[in-house]
Amino acid sequence: MIRPEEIKLSADQSGKWGMVIDQDICTGCQACVAACAMENNISFVGEADSGYGRSMHWIRIERFWEGEYPEIKMTPNQPMLCQQCGSATCEPVCPAFATVHSQAEQLNVQVYNRCVGTRYCANNCPYQVRSFNWRDYKRPEPLPNQFNPDVTVRRRGIMEKCTFCIQRIHKAQDKAKSEAREVLDGEFTTACAQACPADAIVFGRVDDPESLVSQLAHRNHGVKHLEELGTLPNVTYFKGG
Amino acid sequence: MIKRIFDWLKQPLGLIAVGIAFLALFSFAAYGISLTQTSPAQPIQFPHKTHVGLGIQCLYCHPGAAKGPSAGIPAQAKCWACHNQIQKTLDSQQPDTQFPLLKPLVASVKSQSRLQWVPVAQVPDFVQFNHRAHIAAGQNCENCHGDMSKQTVAENPQVFNMGFCLNCHKKVAGENHDLLVKLTDCATCHY
Repeated sequence: MIRPEEIKLSADQSGKWGMVIDQDICTGCQACVAACAMENNISFVGEADSGYGRSMHWIRIERFWEGEYPEIKMTPNQPMLCQQCGSATCEPVCPAFATVHSQAEQLNVQVYNRCVGTRYCANNCPYQVRSFNWRDYKRPEPLPNQFNPDVTVRRRGIMEKCTFCIQRIHKAQDKAKSEAREVLDGEFTTACAQACPADAIVFGRVDDPESLVSQLAHRNHGVKHLEELGTLPNVTYFKGG
Repeated sequence: MIKRIFDWLKQPLGLIAVGIAFLALFSFAAYGISLTQTSPAQPIQFPHKTHVGLGIQCLYCHPGAAKGPSAGIPAQAKCWACHNQIQKTLDSQQPDTQFPLLKPLVASVKSQSRLQWVPVAQVPDFVQFNHRAHIAAGQNCENCHGDMSKQTVAENPQVFNMGFCLNCHKKVAGENHDLLVKLTDCATCHY
């Protein structure tokens, strides 16, 4: 059992890349969902299989209702994606070591070629953000022509999830290295943050106190979802601010 | 019924039949495996050793290796830039003085159709390889692709599997712990 003060301590130490999501300015337009699907070659599941709960999204907009019938109030839209936990519950349960913690990027990575599709990780994820390739879904024309070459096209029987657009991280790091400098804050961002018309999603280095994302994350009313489970999530939410 | 088949197989003729069937299967499998080990057919039996022998750098024809993930295979325009100044090539434009190796090049330049080169050195889709990082780290082309001054059509000197990559990554990192973490991280290549 992890005590709350331990969480606080390790939360300050862990994490490299992080995200801040402001639910008050999120309009729920789903631009991030579409951008993510395009950037990361996410399959088009279709109506029939979605009906079985097999829809695949790395980010989704959650809505909740509060109160009883006449006085129903909708909570702000809540974009939910992999929280890139510092102490992830999906990692220790994988029998094939296909979901591992990247020591270099402090991210939670899914190694597709190791995954055997037990789906244990998805069942153990408290955020329910992992999606499983139940079939090799066919893409409608002309979408097969727009695969992102920097991202693996996953096959049937493989678990997948948000990578914090690690291909963009690597690209930016590679570019910075070729110009003999460090990656600048705001030089690149994830597909969801780039597509957000309201700039509700901000991405960057949380271990750099000067970066925009860590300045926003250290405002005082931020919430990390299900932090009490000791998962050390790297996404901070703001609402009612 | 099955007992009768077994009885027939136990007599000399049956044993020979089983032997032949086994040999046929084995040779078919061996042929299949050997097919995966040969380089694919190319539009031109491109003599790498001739070009390397003339002192042309790898990066002259494959400049992408120094800039980005993919080294690139040159289009015929690049070949033609040099070849249109070479007498042998100019002679090849006439049918009676044609040099067989240059025939497809001349034909593709004339018809402006692409030479369909077949990539030889490939990694699977779930591996994200970047040439630039390797060249910048001081690796030479021949460390992975073999000595091109001895090859005609490009061949893979070794299978590009994870052991091959990791052996080198570990060797390069040596005692540098940070570099070792980065170079043996799953997410460095698989995402």
